[in-house]
Amino acid sequence: MNFEFFLADLWAARANLLAGLWQTVLISAGSVALGTLLGLLVGLGLSYGRLPLRIALRIYTDFLRGTPVFVLILACYYIFSAAGLDLDAFQAGCLALTLFCSSHVGEILRGALNAIPAGQTEAAKSIGLTFGQTFTSVLLPQALRQMLPTWVNTATEIVKASTLLSVIGVVEFLLAVQQVISRTYLSLEFYLFAGLVYFVLNFAIEQAGRAVERRIAIPR
Amino acid sequence: MKTTLALAAAAALFGALPAAAQESRLQEVLDRGHLILGTGSTNPPWHFIGEDGSLQGFDVDMGRLVAKALFGDPDKIEYVQQSGDARIPNLATGKVDLTCQFMTVTAERAQQVEFTIPYYREGVGLLMMDRGDFADYDALKAAGGDVTVAVLQNVYAEEMVHQALPGAEVDQYDSVDLMYQALNSGRADAAATDQSALRWFMVQNPGRYKDAGFGWNPQSYSCAVAPGDQRWLNFVNTVLHEGMTGVEFPFYSASFAQWFGEELEQPQIGFPVEYK
Repeated sequence: MNFEFFLADLWAARANLLAGLWQTVLISAGSVALGTLLGLLVGLGLSYGRLPLRIALRIYTDFLRGTPVFVLILACYYIFSAAGLDLDAFQAGCLALTLFCSSHVGEILRGALNAIPAGQTEAAKSIGLTFGQTFTSVLLPQALRQMLPTWVNTATEIVKASTLLSVIGVVEFLLAVQQVISRTYLSLEFYLFAGLVYFVLNFAIEQAGRAVERRIAIPR
Repeated sequence: MKTTLALAAAAALFGALPAAAQESRLQEVLDRGHLILGTGSTNPPWHFIGEDGSLQGFDVDMGRLVAKALFGDPDKIEYVQQSGDARIPNLATGKVDLTCQFMTVTAERAQQVEFTIPYYREGVGLLMMDRGDFADYDALKAAGGDVTVAVLQNVYAEEMVHQALPGAEVDQYDSVDLMYQALNSGRADAAATDQSALRWFMVQNPGRYKDAGFGWNPQSYSCAVAPGDQRWLNFVNTVLHEGMTGVEFPFYSASFAQWFGEELEQPQIGFPVEYK
């Protein structure tokens, strides 16, 4: 370990590394936000849609969840441009991660809604709530609490999957680190550093998730 | 490998699509006002992020030469920092105008892309300490089994070294820095590595090392363009050709000296050198 060299090179490359980290944060946050919105719709469709919609969404989620993220990224980058929609690497990468995230969130929501005992819907009906009211004040609050831990898990998966975007030329954090390694040959030091940064990033997300969980927990 | 396969499949799928416009990419690039160059970012001295944070290297300079020829300004480039596996698919799908990314010319690849004329001939060379026990390649060869050569680990490493030094001991290392360390500490008498990497290392550490003066395992490095656009290919060929032999020789040779530490001789005036 060349600690002194490492620190000097780390300092010298700080602008590029920070730019890479910013890309990683931007990609992850954007994909998780968009993917969650889309995923909630998918989950609703899966739970309450008519049969044709349910079948279509089932194919959508199963297809996306059954495909490696890596393949999704390549597909978004190359297939759309062949079809005439020219996405740049960043857009294509975000799209791939958004789709991937939405399929997971959709499944998570469906599972969470499923886990609520049928008696609750029946009780809501019996006191005269409409479906909309039942959903917003009975089902959704419980489902969201149910899905929070798994959703946080999905968010960390997306952060890790963002490293795959380097293949289509998005200079995210890992590629920025590799660029420094290729010049300095300090592979062990910089890869350890990268691992630490990703750990801190994901640890922060998990802790934030736990904090929210505690805040919204229903006192028993 | 997985990457290569997936990308090759993508390329095969979409490379077959007919070009939307019959117009040459040359006109498209001129109208756009900048060149989209595909290159890597993790392999000095070819294409890498320098200490100043900018993309640089010999491949990058070849792209800059083309931009200079197009717009009179070598900086009019948009870089697509692609992985090695993305070189062919990005050309096939038109993501880049031109790829200059230490691409070894092979007949197999030439069926998928069109190569320009080569701008460098890569090979393996032997790096030695400037004040080492051996003077040059002949001395190494004469010493037979008393010579230890450090080389980057790879299935053909031993065979490769033995092509040049049949009797030499071969020590394989799994990273470049360990290989150089073996040379520095005297555990190896020479390190066998790409001629370009060796040259670059000598540029970075002036006076410490020397080249044994023997190269083998030749391979050509060329830029590449999407197939089927002769006008654009001819243009890039002309630019590279004139860089190596004509009006842009100062640009090419300055770049060569910067990355490989070697001053090229001027092309001889009179009969064109390339036909000698």
